[in-house]
Amino acid sequence: MEKLTYRDTRNYAPIDVTKGMDLLTREIVMADAEAPEGYEPIPKCKLCTNFTGTDTFMGTCEASMNEPKFIAYPDMVATTCEMYQAM
Amino acid sequence: MAKTLKSVLADAGIPMDFESGGQAPETLTDREITREPHPRVQKLKDIFMESLSSASNEFPYWYTREYMLHDSEVPVIRRAKALKSAFSHSTPVIFPGELLTMRKAPYVRGSFPMPWLSEGFYMAKEDEFYQEALKRGSASVDEHSKFGQGGGNVPQSFGKVISIAGKFGIRQEEVPALLKLAKLWFGKSVDDLGNKYEQMVPGYETKEKIMRNIVCMFDSGFTLPQGREVINYYYPLEYGFDGIIKIAKEMKAKVAGRADGDGMVGMNRLYNYEAVIHVIEGVQNWILNYAKEAARLEALETCARQKKEYREMAERLEWIAHNPPRTFIEAFQMIETVHIAALNEDAISGLAPGRIGQVLYPYFEQDIAAGRITEDEVIELLELDRVYKTSIDCFASVGVVGGVLSGNTFNTVSIGGLDKNGRSAVNRLEYLILEAGATNAMPQSTLALLYDEKLPEDFLMLAMEVIKTGAGYPAFMNTPIAQEFLVNQYGHEGMDSEEARAWAIGGCLETSPCTWKPLHLNGREYWIPGGAGQPTSVGVHFVSMPKVLELTLFNGIDQNTGEKVYEPHNRSLDTYEALEEQFKKYWKETVGVLTLTNNIQHDIWRKNNMAIFSSLLKPDCLDNGHLINELGYRYNATFNVESTGTITFVNSMAALKKMVYEDRELNLEEMKTALKENFGFRDAHEINSFSLADQEKRDDSDNRWDKLHFKALQSPKYGNDDHYADSILLEWENFFCPDCKNYESLYGHTMYPCQISVSTHGAMGSATIASPDGRLSGTTFADASLSAYPGTDKNGPFALLNSATVWDHSMSQNCQLNIKVHPSAINGHEGAKKLLDLTRAYMRKGGFHIQYNIVDSKVLKAAQEHPENYRDLMVRVAGFTQYWVEIGKGVQDELIARTEYEGV
Repeated sequence: MEKLTYRDTRNYAPIDVTKGMDLLTREIVMADAEAPEGYEPIPKCKLCTNFTGTDTFMGTCEASMNEPKFIAYPDMVATTCEMYQAM
Repeated sequence: MAKTLKSVLADAGIPMDFESGGQAPETLTDREITREPHPRVQKLKDIFMESLSSASNEFPYWYTREYMLHDSEVPVIRRAKALKSAFSHSTPVIFPGELLTMRKAPYVRGSFPMPWLSEGFYMAKEDEFYQEALKRGSASVDEHSKFGQGGGNVPQSFGKVISIAGKFGIRQEEVPALLKLAKLWFGKSVDDLGNKYEQMVPGYETKEKIMRNIVCMFDSGFTLPQGREVINYYYPLEYGFDGIIKIAKEMKAKVAGRADGDGMVGMNRLYNYEAVIHVIEGVQNWILNYAKEAARLEALETCARQKKEYREMAERLEWIAHNPPRTFIEAFQMIETVHIAALNEDAISGLAPGRIGQVLYPYFEQDIAAGRITEDEVIELLELDRVYKTSIDCFASVGVVGGVLSGNTFNTVSIGGLDKNGRSAVNRLEYLILEAGATNAMPQSTLALLYDEKLPEDFLMLAMEVIKTGAGYPAFMNTPIAQEFLVNQYGHEGMDSEEARAWAIGGCLETSPCTWKPLHLNGREYWIPGGAGQPTSVGVHFVSMPKVLELTLFNGIDQNTGEKVYEPHNRSLDTYEALEEQFKKYWKETVGVLTLTNNIQHDIWRKNNMAIFSSLLKPDCLDNGHLINELGYRYNATFNVESTGTITFVNSMAALKKMVYEDRELNLEEMKTALKENFGFRDAHEINSFSLADQEKRDDSDNRWDKLHFKALQSPKYGNDDHYADSILLEWENFFCPDCKNYESLYGHTMYPCQISVSTHGAMGSATIASPDGRLSGTTFADASLSAYPGTDKNGPFALLNSATVWDHSMSQNCQLNIKVHPSAINGHEGAKKLLDLTRAYMRKGGFHIQYNIVDSKVLKAAQEHPENYRDLMVRVAGFTQYWVEIGKGVQDELIARTEYEGV
C-alpha cells in the first residue's frame, strides 16, 4: 500500500502550506512528511471516480454540470463535495 | 565610506536630533508593562507565530465553477449561487484548544484570490496579463512596495511552495489550477470590464499616467471594493439565520411582481431577497460543515476535556447555524462567523467589528448574573478573538497589501463613546476588552477609544496602562468631532445627533455612520450600535501631495520617469500665489479624472459583484429589499478623496515661500536644479535605506548644494506652533475639505476628505524625488496627516498639538497624529497620568485622533539588525499595529526616524 504524506490524511490539520498538526499526537509535522501507518486518507479529487486527467496537476470533474466539463485538480480536498465517489 | 546626511550636518554644527524633551537612556529599554495570555491562548498564539500566509484555490474554484454554470441568470442570483457553492464547499479546519472557530480558508492564515475582481496582478511577471496591468498603471506601485521579509510573509518561493503577490505561499500542486481559474475571468473581472469602460472617460490617458507614476496609489473598484466600514451583527443575533430566511421569504411574497412606485429597481427586490436566501443557505452549510468536523474530532479524541470541548463546539455551531444565540459564547461564535463570512464574500480590508463590547453586553450581563460564565473565561475568549482577528489575511496585490496595508486588515474594535441617550456607553465588558488587549497583545483587533468627557476616569487610565504595553492601542478618537462630521455629511440621509452617537471606527481610522437597533434577550431590550453605511475609503485613493507639487514645479513632467503626466502649464510660477494656484489646478484635475474612472469600476462591481451577505446585515436592506448596489444601506454618501504626504507638502510649501518667494535667497530654477540633483545625495534606493538621516552623499558631490540643503532643512516646519508653516496647513485644509464636495460618487452623493496615510507614505515617497523641505529622493514622507516630519518638531508635544489643531477637524472624516514616546518617559502611575493629560489636552483643542508608539528607537534598530530575535515586536505604523518583521524596509526606516519624545 502506498504511503501517505500527512497532507493526504484526515488526521492532519494544516497550519500553512508547509506544515500542520498531527491531530492524534498534537505534534507539529511537515505537510510532506510520511504519515504513520493506518492514518485515514482524506478525500481528494485524485481519489474520486469522477476525476479524469493525465496531467500531474490538472484534470476534469466528470460530475460537473458545466459544458464542457469543468476543470479539477488532483490535490483538491473533497470532504465537502457531494459528488465525491471514492475509488 | 560615503558620508550620511546626519554626519554632514553634524560637521556643519547642525544637530539632527530625533530625541525631543531630554535624552533617552543609553541602554535598550523595554516596555514597562508586559502581560501573558491564558495557556490555551498562548498555545494557539504560538501556532499563529509559526504560520505562513497561505493561499488556497478552494473558494475561487467552487465560486467560478458555479458562476460559469449560470450565464443566463439574473446577475444577483448568479452571484448568490456562486457564493453559496463556495461557502458550502469550504473545508473546515479546527485545532485542539480552540473555543471559537470558523476561518477564511483551510489554513491558520488562509486566504484566496478573487479573480472575478482582478486577476492580472498575481500572474507571473512575464505573463501578458501582468504586463497589461503594468501598462494600466494598476501594478506600477507594486514596484515601489515592499513586504517585510520575516514573520508569516512568503516573499520567495521555496520547496513545493510558490510565492504569489509577494506575500502568500501556495502549494505547487494548486498553481496550474490557480492560473487556469484566473484566465477564465480574463475580460470578465471587475478590473478588466471596468477598464474597458473607464477608457471612455475623457482624460483617461491622464489617469493611466497618474497611476503609472504613482501620483495615486491604487484603483478602488476592483482592489478592495468593500471595507473601512463597521459591520452590523444585529440581524443574525436578533433573528438567527432561519429567522432571516423567514423574513426574506415573507418579503418575497410581498414584492413579487410589484414595482411599488419605483419603476427603476423596484422589481429587483424579488431577486434580491431570493439571493439573500441562497447566500444564507451557503453560510449555514459552511457552519454545519464545521459542526460535523468538530463532531468527527470528538470521536477521534481521547482526552476527556478536549472531547467535551469538541462536543460543545459542535452543538454551538449546530445551534447558531439556525437560531439566534442564547449565551455569551454562542453570541461570540455567531459574530465571529458572520465576520469571516462577510470577509469571504469580497476582497475586504478594514471590516471593523465596531463596538462589540456593547453588542455582546446583553449576553455578558445575563451570563455573569446567572453564573454561566466568569470574567476570567470572558477574558480568555477575548484573547482568543485576538488570535483569530490577527490571523485574517487579505489576498490582494503587493501594492495594496504591502504598500498600503503593511499586511494588516484593520478589524478595529471601538470602545467607549456614548449610548443612545448621550450617556457614557462604557460597560464592564469593555474593561475586559482592554484587559485582553494587554494580556494578549497582538496587532488585531486594534482598539479605538471613542473619547468623550463623560467617560470614566478609571477606564481612561486603564487605557493608558494598555498603551504602555507598546501595543499601539487604544488610539483616541474624539466623539464630538466625529458626530459633527457625521451630521454634516449624512444629515441629508437622515443622520441626527442621536444616530451619530452610534458611530464607530471602520477600518483603521474612518469615521463610519452607524445606527441603534433593539436586541431582545430573555424578555429584555437592549439598544445596540452597528454599522449602517457603505464602505468608506472608496473612491479616490491616496493622492500624493508631494508628487503633485513635483509635477507642478516641473511643468507636468515626472522627474523619475520623464513621463509627461499632465499637460504642461507653461507658467513661470513667479509668485507663491501662482504656485499655489497651479498646484490646486493639477490637484483638481487628478481628483476629477480619478473620481470618474473609479465610479465606473465601482459601477461594474455593483452590477456583477454586488455584496449580498454584507448587505443583508446592514440596515435597511432587509426592510427595503435593496442591496448595497441599489442604495439599500441607510447611509450611502461614503465615498472619499484620500491624500498622502500632507506635512511633507506643507513643509515644502513653507520652504519655497520663505526661501524663493520672500527672502529670495535663490530662484525657483535653482531650487528645481537642487531637487533634481537630490542636493548632492544618492537616491535612497541605491543604499536601501529610506530615512533622511541615513542618506549618503554622492561620491562625486562637490558640496555645492550643502548650504541650500541646510537652509531647506531649517526653513519653517509644521509641528512647532509656528504660524508660518501652520498657516499653510490651514490654507490647505480650507481648500481641500470643501473641494471634495465638488466630486460626485456613482451613488449620487458628494465626497469628503480622508486624511490617513496607512503605509502609502513609504511607497509614494519611494517614487518621488527630493522635495523643497530638504527631504531626499526616495525617502518616506511624514507619516499620517498630522504627524511632524521626523526630527522637525523641536518645541515639545504641546506645540505639536497646537499646530495640528490649527484647522477644524470636523471638516474631514478623519486626520491622524502619531507620536513616538520613549517608555521611560511615561513610567509609573504618574507617567500614565501625564499621557492621559496630553491626550485630553488634544481632544479639548478639537483634535480628532491621537495615538502613541511606546518604544525605544534603539530597540527598533536592534530589531532591524536581528529580526530573528524580535518575532513578536509590535509597532504602531499608522492607524494600525503590526509585527515589526512583517513591515517593509521603507516604513521600518521611517518608524526608527520618527521623533522620540523623552518626556511628555
